[in-house]
Amino acid sequence: MAEPVVVDRVTKRFAGHTAVDALSLTVPSGIIYGLLGPNGAGKTTTLRMIMDIYEPDSGTVRLFDQVGGGRTNSARIGYLPEERGLYPRMRVLDVLVFLAEAKGVSRRGARARATEWLERLGLADWRMRKVSDLSKGMQQKVQFISTILHDPDLVILDEPFSGLDPVNSQVLRDTVVEYRRRGKTVLFSTHIMEHAEKLCDRLCIIARGRKLIDGTLAEVKSTHGGKHVIVAFDGTDGNAQQIFADRRLVAKIQDFGQQAELELAPGADAQAILKALVDSGARLARFELASPSLHKIFVDLVGPEAVTATATGGGNGGSRA
Amino acid sequence: MHKVWAVIRREFVERVRTKWFWVSAILGPVLFAGIIVYQIKQSVGGAVRDVAVVDSTSAKLGNQVVEALEASGSFRASLAPAGPGVIDSLRNLVESKQLNGFLIVTDDLIQTGRAEYQASNLGMQTIEALQRTLGRLVVKARLEQKGVNPGVVDWAQIRISLDQKKIAHGRAVSDSAAQSFFTAYLMAILLFMAILLYGVNVMSSVLEEKTTRIIEVLVSSVRPFQLMLGKILGAGAVSFFQFVIWGVSARVLLSLRGPIARALGANPRDIQTMSLPHIPAATLAVFIAFFLGGFLLYSAMFAAVGAMSSNEQEARQAQQPVTYLLMISYLSILGLTNDPSSTFARTLSLVPFTTPIATPVRWTAGSMPTWELALSLVILGVAIVGVTWVAARIYRVGILMTGKRPNLKELMRWVRTA
Repeated sequence: MAEPVVVDRVTKRFAGHTAVDALSLTVPSGIIYGLLGPNGAGKTTTLRMIMDIYEPDSGTVRLFDQVGGGRTNSARIGYLPEERGLYPRMRVLDVLVFLAEAKGVSRRGARARATEWLERLGLADWRMRKVSDLSKGMQQKVQFISTILHDPDLVILDEPFSGLDPVNSQVLRDTVVEYRRRGKTVLFSTHIMEHAEKLCDRLCIIARGRKLIDGTLAEVKSTHGGKHVIVAFDGTDGNAQQIFADRRLVAKIQDFGQQAELELAPGADAQAILKALVDSGARLARFELASPSLHKIFVDLVGPEAVTATATGGGNGGSRA
Repeated sequence: MHKVWAVIRREFVERVRTKWFWVSAILGPVLFAGIIVYQIKQSVGGAVRDVAVVDSTSAKLGNQVVEALEASGSFRASLAPAGPGVIDSLRNLVESKQLNGFLIVTDDLIQTGRAEYQASNLGMQTIEALQRTLGRLVVKARLEQKGVNPGVVDWAQIRISLDQKKIAHGRAVSDSAAQSFFTAYLMAILLFMAILLYGVNVMSSVLEEKTTRIIEVLVSSVRPFQLMLGKILGAGAVSFFQFVIWGVSARVLLSLRGPIARALGANPRDIQTMSLPHIPAATLAVFIAFFLGGFLLYSAMFAAVGAMSSNEQEARQAQQPVTYLLMISYLSILGLTNDPSSTFARTLSLVPFTTPIATPVRWTAGSMPTWELALSLVILGVAIVGVTWVAARIYRVGILMTGKRPNLKELMRWVRTA
């Protein structure tokens, strides 16, 4: 089966700066693929080029082995942009039917499927109400429905979790996982590594428009491995800061407050650290050998200045052209 | 094509569902019915005034004045003998609405042509009717004083009635100058209003999709040009529907004139003359063609304006150049209707941005050769293609833009690179 998405050395420049620089990536069929990067890395621009909203300055996008972007294949693709909205004055059902018709679904088919989905997500009573009468969470549900109403083979989600409440986050995760189980493909972008780590089969990390690494989650972790230890304290941490500062034992530390992630120095033994901690009088709640978290790899690759941006930003700061 | 249809249908259905559509759809016929009722009321006696004639002439002309006023059909007149206090008591009658006014005639009437009229309401029509009636009376009295045979006097005073025929497109049609002026004027106003209102509708619809951010989902499945086209055609269909409602209800109301008149106590035969000016099929076709053309031309520009703005305020500013372009035609309407064959009028009907209003006006006024009409249509057609091409490029870039409104230089770059 043809790969749903093949991006080949695409470049996009906007007045003065290069948003995406000779980026290539391939999304195989039937998986969940994460496009990761800090704000301003070029994720949205890449997805927009895939969707045929922007034309690349050079390079090509092939979807389902056909030249031409998302619009030609729009019936097979569901797209949820980062900045999403609905017509506030239209009725819920009418919006869904219209958006499905824009994808080429017949009016009657769209009505039946929209009704079914609204029922499934508990919005059946709201289908004749105006969109503006719905709460923000309900509107988000309507937006998911509009993305997958035409049962696409490929779903592209740009920062899908930004602004979602926990309940809707779960609904979205369930839908995405169920989609993959049915053999469909999901490509999504995020700057929140926890989401990516839980969901992705494969991923690609980009920064400043360039690819830093891609592969399966396991591949990425083993290439950027190193031994890692996660430590959490129960009450007193004894002499921990001093032990962690010992460069013979610990190469790098990420302190999350409640817990810390240590990257061991080459040749160091985790047991030595454990012993030193216990000897110093620290009470441990957790001491766990682990592969590095995606967040750690991300920070190592992208650099600390990008992390501050990630910590403050809830999403990309508006679109550029 | 299916997708364009979906866009057209959404645009049409959502607009027709709004309150404002039905308010204006109903307001039109209500206004029209009001005009009909008013005209019938006028013909039923609203115009007949009760006047008293105070006669202080030495020749006792008062009786003749009363007779003449009664004969004119516009007055119910009575004679009030002159005397002390009579003016005051008549004023009281006017005050208490038992009398519309009173006329004071003295010997001056014949000598110097002066008389006095006091009333609660000095309407133009009443004054003119009084002057006309008194004028004929005075002429007759003066001639009789000089010994002219009264029969000759009557004959000499026969009024001229001018049979008016307009030559339009090589044929004489019976149509008065006032009527064709009125038709042309009405058409121009209608065209201007419809193009402006529905063009602005296209703009706000584009802006809505931009501000609600639904646009990105849309352009991922529908080409921007298809979207813009669907919007323009949808809004155009709404305005056409509006016109149809007005047109049909006007026809129905006109055909109901008889019953309405009877209900109001008027003689239906009296009001048969009252009708809309007769509009020939060719004129109607020209009107529709130029309405559609003008609408397409201007709404493409309004769509581009909507696409380049990111909120209502910006859009209001950015639409001004387009509105001014349309205002040129609006401000020229009087000039056009007064002299439809002037160089000024000819120029306006050959400029693409003024031709949608100028050409139908000139055609209706009957002073336009067919080849000029054809030329105007061709110019308008070429302009629509050109303007839509430019607007589509601005639209395509603009709908995904947020932030600062582009200046002219940036706009030019959009058009070049889009």
